[in-house]
Amino acid sequence: MSNPANSINVTDIDSELSAQSPQDILRYALANHDNISISFSGAEDVVLIDMAHKIRPDIKVFSLDTGRLHAQTYRFMEEVRKHYSIDIDVVYPEAARVEKLVKEKGLFSFYEDDHKECCGIRKIAPLRKQLLTVDAWITGQRRDQSPGTRAEVPVIQDDKAFARPDDRLTKFNPLANWTSKQVWDYIRENNVPYNALHDEGFISIGCEPCTRPTGPGQHEREGRWWWEEATKKECGLHAVNIEK
Amino acid sequence: MKITLVKKVFADGSPCKKCAEVEQKMRDAGQLEQINQTVIAYEADPQSEGMLLAAQHKVDRAPFFIVERDNQATEVYTVYFKFVKEVLNQKITEDEEIQEIMNDVDLDFL
Repeated sequence: MSNPANSINVTDIDSELSAQSPQDILRYALANHDNISISFSGAEDVVLIDMAHKIRPDIKVFSLDTGRLHAQTYRFMEEVRKHYSIDIDVVYPEAARVEKLVKEKGLFSFYEDDHKECCGIRKIAPLRKQLLTVDAWITGQRRDQSPGTRAEVPVIQDDKAFARPDDRLTKFNPLANWTSKQVWDYIRENNVPYNALHDEGFISIGCEPCTRPTGPGQHEREGRWWWEEATKKECGLHAVNIEK
Repeated sequence: MKITLVKKVFADGSPCKKCAEVEQKMRDAGQLEQINQTVIAYEADPQSEGMLLAAQHKVDRAPFFIVERDNQATEVYTVYFKFVKEVLNQKITEDEEIQEIMNDVDLDFL
């Protein structure tokens, strides 16, 4: 099957797909890509697996095991694997890189520097390696997750950062236009399994040292890397940035 | 071949963080000499040349590179390491690639 991103403009497709439901976006993605995989974080993006599984039962799924996830997240991944009878391709960071970081800076260097070096080793490097093997990937990114950096997330994009050399990688964000409430309504209405951490006040779930529950009125983004200054999309070129 | 670098400047005159980092890398690597022109996207002026180029090429972040070759379609690069590898034909390490991706990607969905 050919990669449609090679011949048509994803901006045009985005205009068409953005008005459609996540299920329709997934249907489009799966119809147009054989070598496509869902990135599953172990959080509420499980809805993507539920939706995709109803379209293509043998949907490919991968998860990044950074080595620092909560025990509840590991249990949840296993629950999802059994519930849907799917293989989850668990991807790991390169041991030598982790060892070097820990030896030089300890186990909690991200509190003293920032999370980028650790995330680069534990997330980006293995993700990059994984994405070199696919033509398209699906994420649970939503616009309401981080108004500062994600307000413009399209439902389909040409992923230039992770594409193979001289090739294209298409990224689908079927939940881009959904709110957290819509995701949770879907989870409850469809009896989708979810991470037990959500019942403990966690909204956004990542590595254990870098994730905390959020209180009433707090945005979910405040539960991640809270010791760092709020992320600013300072390189954005949107009119909204100009008007500020 | 004509290469245009578009970078963003805030209302107070300071460059965006990534623009400054990329420009410094290019200066250190001697790559700036291969840039034919640098155009500014002024935050305070939507009609500035850089902002108009961003709109024309549907680019939503700075810096970016516009590569024009005779009798070929114009190419736009928003990822610095891709530009270095594919246009300047220079090697870049995996660590450098990862570092740049880290600056672009908000990782809370992984």
